[in-house]
Amino acid sequence: MDLVRSTIQRYVDLSDADWQRIAPLWHERAFTKGAHICPAGEVEQWFYIVKSGVQRLSFFHEGNDVCVGFAYDGSWCGEYASFVSRKPARFDVKAISDTVLVGIRHEDLQRLYSEMKIMERFGRLILEELLIGRAVREVEQLSLSAEERYDRLVQRSPQLLQLVSQKDIASYLRMTPETFSRLRRRR
Amino acid sequence: MKVDLMIEELRAVLQAQQARAREIAALPGTSLLKRPTPEAWNVLEVFEHLNLSSGVYVRGLEEVFARKAASHRPNNDFTPGVLGDWFTTGLEPQPGGGIKWRMRTMKMFDPARNAGASLESITRFIDFCSRLLVLLEKARTTDLNKLRVTSSLGPIIRFKAGDAFRFPVAHQRRHFLQIERLLAMD
Repeated sequence: MDLVRSTIQRYVDLSDADWQRIAPLWHERAFTKGAHICPAGEVEQWFYIVKSGVQRLSFFHEGNDVCVGFAYDGSWCGEYASFVSRKPARFDVKAISDTVLVGIRHEDLQRLYSEMKIMERFGRLILEELLIGRAVREVEQLSLSAEERYDRLVQRSPQLLQLVSQKDIASYLRMTPETFSRLRRRR
Repeated sequence: MKVDLMIEELRAVLQAQQARAREIAALPGTSLLKRPTPEAWNVLEVFEHLNLSSGVYVRGLEEVFARKAASHRPNNDFTPGVLGDWFTTGLEPQPGGGIKWRMRTMKMFDPARNAGASLESITRFIDFCSRLLVLLEKARTTDLNKLRVTSSLGPIIRFKAGDAFRFPVAHQRRHFLQIERLLAMD
């Protein structure tokens, strides 16, 4: 639970009294390697913080699983668009190693937003962060070469190369596994 | 064996397993993921394995009861089938808590080769037990010798309905020993 408090406190300050209202609404949920956290087509009920393990966000396109993102220790996890819109998830969220997530249900988070100004502020700040992350990635996808995309990833999240299969990273970088391994050898 | 006694016995075991499963679902995630070796199942995978296997009997019994239970008169005597009895008693934990023989899991019942496992696996296990408990009540109204259900060992081996209750419950008992061992591990 310290994980949840310290994660929220990266954005806003919580008093002990605030925390006592928030803490009971977060639940630990375990998934084994390969398990669906939120399958595409279902409405995401949870907003998660990763306690341990690595998760993958992907969608199915023309016979391939296209990987669009990863989550790991301390990051957010879940199908956020579905969580917010209450519409079926477009993406599959899967555990790619044994995973423990700490999550809050949609209705509980909404209640915190309406009852606690500080939590509403927290909600706005994470949304801004997610939006900026998405915008940066979109620009990189459209403007950078395969080689530059690889370099950015190594720079920003070097640990991913150890945690995730080459196939998934290649898919995430929009390149063939062959191109990926060529770039990797070059370094 | 007498069907009413058998029902009482199976019911007690299923209810105890359900209660324990609820306790286990509340444990910290890291306890549920512990593995004795990197290839061995963790607690969640054991539950998912039970769902894959017991699900065959729950669905089979529901289907055959809906279709045929009413066409047989209630019979309070049940004679286990040769194969059904052999597999069930072979699975059953020994009085000392040990198991008679080790078995290899068929791929189709291995969660690690299927869709993984999660807390949801425990919820579904509890649900399968509830469905077995409902079926046990219906068992009083028919003849467990006459109805047959395809076993989890493949379409060639069909169990008498009475064995289709006894087998999954014994199988679950066996794996609860494994679950308790996993939870007791450091």
